[in-house]
Amino acid sequence: MDVRVPEVPASYDDYRRRVREFVEAHKPALRMKEKAGLRVPDDPEDVSKLRAWVRALNDAGFASPAHSETKLDPHQTRILNEELGKAGVPVVLGNPLVGGAIKLFGTEQQKAFYLPRIASGEHIWTQLFSEPAAGSDLASLQTRGRLDGDAYVVDGQKVWSTWAQFSDYGYLLARTEEKAGPAGITAFILDMKSPGVTTRPLREITGTTDFNEVFLDEVRIPVENVIGQPGQGWAVTTASLAQERGGVGSRGAEDSIAGLVRIARATKRAGRPAIEDGAVRQTIARFAARSRIQRALGYRVATKAAAKELGPADAPLTKIWFSELNLQINEYALSLQGPNGALAEGDPLAWQDGKFQDAFLYARAWTIAGGSNEIMRNLIAERGLGLPREARG
Amino acid sequence: MNFAYDEDQRLLKETTRRFLEERHPLAALRPNLETDTTLDRAVWRDGAQLGWTAMLAPAENDGGSVSEQPIVDLIALAEELGRVLYPGPFLPANVVADTLARGGDEAQRKDWLAPLVRGERIAAWCATGDGTADASAIAVTATPAEGGMRLDGRARWVHDAHAADFLLVACRAPQGETLALVPLPASGVGVRVLKGLDLTRRFCEVTFSGVQVSSDALLGAPGSAAPALARMGSLASVIQAGEAVGAMEKLFELTVQHAKDRVQFGRAIGSFQAIKHRLADLWIELEGARAAAHYAALALADELSDREQAVATAGCYVREAASQLAGESLQIHGGVGFTWEYDVHLFLRRAKADQVLYGDPSWHAERLCRLLEADVKEA
Repeated sequence: MDVRVPEVPASYDDYRRRVREFVEAHKPALRMKEKAGLRVPDDPEDVSKLRAWVRALNDAGFASPAHSETKLDPHQTRILNEELGKAGVPVVLGNPLVGGAIKLFGTEQQKAFYLPRIASGEHIWTQLFSEPAAGSDLASLQTRGRLDGDAYVVDGQKVWSTWAQFSDYGYLLARTEEKAGPAGITAFILDMKSPGVTTRPLREITGTTDFNEVFLDEVRIPVENVIGQPGQGWAVTTASLAQERGGVGSRGAEDSIAGLVRIARATKRAGRPAIEDGAVRQTIARFAARSRIQRALGYRVATKAAAKELGPADAPLTKIWFSELNLQINEYALSLQGPNGALAEGDPLAWQDGKFQDAFLYARAWTIAGGSNEIMRNLIAERGLGLPREARG
Repeated sequence: MNFAYDEDQRLLKETTRRFLEERHPLAALRPNLETDTTLDRAVWRDGAQLGWTAMLAPAENDGGSVSEQPIVDLIALAEELGRVLYPGPFLPANVVADTLARGGDEAQRKDWLAPLVRGERIAAWCATGDGTADASAIAVTATPAEGGMRLDGRARWVHDAHAADFLLVACRAPQGETLALVPLPASGVGVRVLKGLDLTRRFCEVTFSGVQVSSDALLGAPGSAAPALARMGSLASVIQAGEAVGAMEKLFELTVQHAKDRVQFGRAIGSFQAIKHRLADLWIELEGARAAAHYAALALADELSDREQAVATAGCYVREAASQLAGESLQIHGGVGFTWEYDVHLFLRRAKADQVLYGDPSWHAERLCRLLEADVKEA
């Protein structure tokens, strides 16, 4: 066993210096505040600045390694991830998961046209999967596409689409054949500027608008914009959703845990610092243990992925572990702050301007999105442990 | 990145599993659940030949490991032993072997370590007076005496002391914490087998009254044992975590199988979400415990800078997860899980005993919190 990351040799100091200088010179000054999760600016000007920033990163060969075609060695990848992480502004715009679907199922023309533009940040994408009546039971989606000459005519309503208000393209699922369950669903590339597409930003419990509703009214999508074969959208989707779930929580929650320690030092319980309270110490330590295990589970997944041994329960495990620990840490952070825990962003007395309150509210995005944790438990039980399926309508 | 057993370690696990299936399956415990000993010396000796006691000892004392990370080899073995709730002194034997290998002089290694490694002599580890992990709980005093020391006091929760050929005793000398070797039988040593909740293993209370120990039976200078004691505690916790993960794995397999086989309301109970989600949660806890145990073993083996945090993490998480998994597994088994005949209670009893031995979860959590405080600077 070995999980140590090799030291970056001194010969890379110059590379790190160049990345750092580039970031300092080009990093946009945004109106949006840095917050937990996948957050989207409210201000179109921020979006223009971000587009310019991502394009500049790409032109300089410093695009985010996770979604770039640039060949980097492992040390460069690490340096780039570290330095871009420190920048504190998004380096990937929109939902780039369609890239996985196009790579696996796209035509040569689709690959040649879309992939480089996803990587360069030229195209912002959104995902058009969930519907008001089709969340966990995604296969019951109601959006319909009927073939009319060289195009599909699509009608329906989508929800929970991040970045849709600023997106160029949408990764869309619609039913094109009247069959039961997942069969008969088709995956499309939707040009968001097509006539009949209406995007309405959706304000969430956080007070911010990180998602949208998208209405599709007689929208014509050319047949060449089908990803994979018509009626086989489910296979396309399964591949990219697995990618989405596996990506979260591969590192620990060290920063939040350190935050708890700092809150506990600064707040009093019965006249003494909370950090001296045995119950507080026990709780923080339990979170720290689970955070450390989260990191070890990340090693486990990376090892299995490298050996091509990932099973159907592995991504759900990581997703549940990360999202539930994240929720519990943020819930506790509020109670640890005492009455001030009930303050929020904007009040001068709020701890770190309400950072934990926002993270507490946003935490539910992780336990619900990308397949709710209940669906994840079904996947573990049925596909991982081989338990019989429950009766479904 | 490789966070999995290597080829040789997998082979070691397979060999051990086959050996145990043949020589000491879970069923072999049944006749001895209520007797004074659960140890089969012939199986122990043959296990020693398979490397159970050899990993942490040098080759010149008949030791040798499978990989460059002997502590990882050890938990690979521990998992297999845990699967059958193997009762013998695997944990104390390796703690004692490690202590002798690191702190024993040449004669001590030859006279005490080598026979232990070969499985000829059984070692028991007298850690504290109450079974907790605190050095402050050491309840044996060592008083300077003619040619060495005199030991008085007691140690509790000493695994298989009733079957031991010698003891490694943590004691308090005027100079501080000290380790002494006591061959058995010895005048002034009393051993009482404790009646425990765990029916699979035997733990003892060992009393010392005026027990003479010659200077050549002391490990290092009197008062110099504190670092060794800390190491022994960490190692014990990691080995115990390995055994616990093996036991969790086996019990979980039994429980999933039960959920597939047991039919109520015309359906396998494993098709009901109430059972299914519970099993999914137990699997998550099992994988979490496994990751914690593996990382702790790795951190200790490679002396990583966060090894103390890693041991404390396994120390609090695995103990609680194992106990949780055992209790829930019994619940999922329903009525049959409540019978003496089914093995579930043996796992539950083992898990509850493990939960409080070598530091209970809150002891390890407190340790983790102290380490965390030292790591977190002010923003």
